Amino acid sequence: MLQSRLVAALKSLSIGQGVCRISAQPLSTTAAKCRQVEDRREMLKSLPAIDEGTSGEKAVDIDSMIHHKDIFPNLDTPNMMFNGTPFKELPIFNIRVSSNNTVFSLTDYKGTPKIIRSCGIEGFKNARKGTNIAAQATAISVATRALEKGIKTIRVRVRGIGPGRMSAIKGLQMAGMDIVSITDSTPVAWDPPRPRKQRKL
Amino acid sequence: MRHASFIARTVFVQKNDVEAACKVLNRILGREGILDQFRRTRYYEKPFQFRRRINYEKCKSIYNEDMDRKIQFVLRKNRTDPYPGCI
Repeated sequence: MLQSRLVAALKSLSIGQGVCRISAQPLSTTAAKCRQVEDRREMLKSLPAIDEGTSGEKAVDIDSMIHHKDIFPNLDTPNMMFNGTPFKELPIFNIRVSSNNTVFSLTDYKGTPKIIRSCGIEGFKNARKGTNIAAQATAISVATRALEKGIKTIRVRVRGIGPGRMSAIKGLQMAGMDIVSITDSTPVAWDPPRPRKQRKL
Repeated sequence: MRHASFIARTVFVQKNDVEAACKVLNRILGREGILDQFRRTRYYEKPFQFRRRINYEKCKSIYNEDMDRKIQFVLRKNRTDPYPGCI
């Protein structure tokens, strides 16, 4: 639909130039009027889906299923030792991801906060806060702060989906943190209170 | 939905391969419909949208069931060794 409209517009342009140069003017005015709601919806549909950082959600990777057997926790997991600390007493990196921002907070196993940083604090403002690059840069700076405090082995708990989801975890690893496990704690309810009304596109 | 923390929805990272662990976690969340439900409950789903979605899902599952049956019918084998030459 959109393509055919574009082709028609191009054709009319070339004809207009061929016949006389003055007729180029009405073209621009009609093009502005042609922009309807339907076309905008179609354009949005034709755009590629926004990357939320949840890679592997749809695609099936068979190899990873075959090779790893003990990737899930069991009854002994809380007492398993990682770098001299039992799993249940490892410090926790909480990452809260939304479409507009990414917030990192490092807590000990009781939940006492030690470091809180977000993409906004890090200097990314407005729409840039919600990008994967911002999340990765923030992750690296937070991780270096944690390493300065002597915290290396951590568990990661991710909450929410957004562009920063994957890159935040990757950034932590790039900075040299030793990630033991990744947990998802996205709040999901099957009978939630009535959410806000839908956005108008 | 409350679960024991760090027992449910937890994946261990092996050989420092964070990406593979994330993929496993995301795939499980996606297949269980948790991410779909999360996205769906961001905004209120009007009754007409709910009806349309449910009807669409019904039709889709009926189509998929029929198609699976057809594929199984076409792929049926009646030999002692169904795949000769394969190990």
